[in-house]
Amino acid sequence: RGALGGSGHERERRAAGPGAAALPAQGLPGQPQAQPRLQKAERRRGRGRYGGRKCGRGHKGERQRGNRPRLGFEGGQTPFYLAIPKYGFNEGHSLRRQYQPLSLQRLQYLIDLGRVDPTQPIDLTQLTNARGVTVQPLKRDYGIQLVEEGADIFAAKVNIEVQRASELAIAAIEKNGGVVTTSFYDPRSLEILCKPVVFFLRGKPIPKRMLPPEDLVRYYTDPRNRGYLADPSKVAEARLELAKKYGYVLPDITKDELFKMLSARKDPRQIFFGLAPGWIVNLADKKILKPTDESLLKYYSS
Amino acid sequence: MIRAGAAALRAWSKARGWAALSTAPPAPPAAPEPRREEPPVPPPVPPPVPSPVLRSCRVPVVPPLSPLQAWVGSLRHPEDTLRGLADLHPDVFGVSPRLDILHTVATWQRNYKRISHARVRSRAEVRGGGRKPWRQKGSGRARHGSARSPLWRGGGIAHGPRGPTSYFYMLPMRVRVLGLKVALSAKLMQDELHLVDSLEMPSGDPRYLQELARARRWGHSVLVVDSDEFPENIIAAASGLKSITLIPALGLNVHSLLKHQTLVLTLGAVTFLEQRLLWHESRYSPLVPFSLPHRDPPPPPRAA
Repeated sequence: RGALGGSGHERERRAAGPGAAALPAQGLPGQPQAQPRLQKAERRRGRGRYGGRKCGRGHKGERQRGNRPRLGFEGGQTPFYLAIPKYGFNEGHSLRRQYQPLSLQRLQYLIDLGRVDPTQPIDLTQLTNARGVTVQPLKRDYGIQLVEEGADIFAAKVNIEVQRASELAIAAIEKNGGVVTTSFYDPRSLEILCKPVVFFLRGKPIPKRMLPPEDLVRYYTDPRNRGYLADPSKVAEARLELAKKYGYVLPDITKDELFKMLSARKDPRQIFFGLAPGWIVNLADKKILKPTDESLLKYYSS
Repeated sequence: MIRAGAAALRAWSKARGWAALSTAPPAPPAAPEPRREEPPVPPPVPPPVPSPVLRSCRVPVVPPLSPLQAWVGSLRHPEDTLRGLADLHPDVFGVSPRLDILHTVATWQRNYKRISHARVRSRAEVRGGGRKPWRQKGSGRARHGSARSPLWRGGGIAHGPRGPTSYFYMLPMRVRVLGLKVALSAKLMQDELHLVDSLEMPSGDPRYLQELARARRWGHSVLVVDSDEFPENIIAAASGLKSITLIPALGLNVHSLLKHQTLVLTLGAVTFLEQRLLWHESRYSPLVPFSLPHRDPPPPPRAA
């Protein structure tokens, strides 16, 4: 009602809005001028549904009649996807083990924010709960690997357990007085390790962790990789050798106040710290059930 | 002009006097006399005024934001509206008015429960139509294979609804949370939000509640939200009225907020909503559903 009345100038001002009264229609001096609005192109009609007339299908032929050949067909010429010879780039990709990288920078970031507690042994469970890494056991992930990015700024004393670790990453952690261990988790154990709550709700006993396959035994028995199946004395020698190689003084962790925590290690058949295979965890009643049958005890302790 | 000059001269002499004209060096200031030892009289301290703020935010408000404030009343008397003030968290009650989010969430609320049972018979389901009506050639009529094709009267429908169809979809959790925040902020912005300390009423008479709503000019529809159990009186009063609805704070939703003109919150409901809605701003992504036991992220370390 009010918008229709008034002179043309007033109508323009009202249409522009309450805040536009101070701005001239040509724009402020010194500012780039806005382009005048062009005439809108005429809308294509043709009536009917889907655009009308030919409905965007073109004129006659296979296009309009919906009889085009299959994707990749090149009119008879040998198509690209057949001309190029096959090569096994992706052969056996579903059998290749993948390890999600965890950089020392990311680890330091998580410790600094308080998401990962360095006064307790750091496990894949702790890292997953802190949303530091995302591991997908169903996508052929076999765990995490320590990567050197951030080795120069890393300054935390941790007891960390990963599945693979590069030499420089091991050196960076041991230089700060920490302990690295590489251990193997088969896919079933890995899934349990990453999502413990979901597993406990199933009500099944914790299974034994399987030993590594043939091609990984050599890796996990090598003290240079800090493998969990290696000889502890040889691991101590390897720590000294690495310190000599990279030129830092290896701190003596036996005199450390957190020595008990730093030397905590899992049994090769154990998945969780403090829980043995064969036990059932009841979250609802907050109880742990342990097997008493001899055959079960014998099986789970083998 | 002479009078002005005389006035100026008078003003000058009052200020500095003839001593300013003298060229002699200024006399040294006289040494202060030794004061008698007297205890200094402290200025009178006014008695402490009780703070009008009845409720402050449990969740800390990060600067530069500062809490919004609203008056707190009660339902014990129609004129008991100014008992005190309450602090409201700006990230819940002071977010920008995202009307598109309100529209999205309200549409989702309408549609996600919808199951359309419309179903029509296709040519295969209509009774009959197995035999070719007449021979292919020579009869002079158009060629047909079945008397129940979509072209025929009484035939099946070619592209009809093939229900039951579900229109279920979920919006991201944070969008739904933001929708609630925007709706609450809009209510506060438009002066349609009223706070009460509790829902205790002197009687369970619906007329009392209606009279109160009319006296306080609450509007034609009122939504009353409380976090705990409702007192009996207000349940009895509201059950007799169509325009006043009671819901627990867990049941608060954008559709109800838009449908009712006024929102009445208790202080307990405000605490509940602030805590629940602000948790989403700093939570971990759901590795497992939140109904299972989980651990929340630690608070960010304060800068030293």
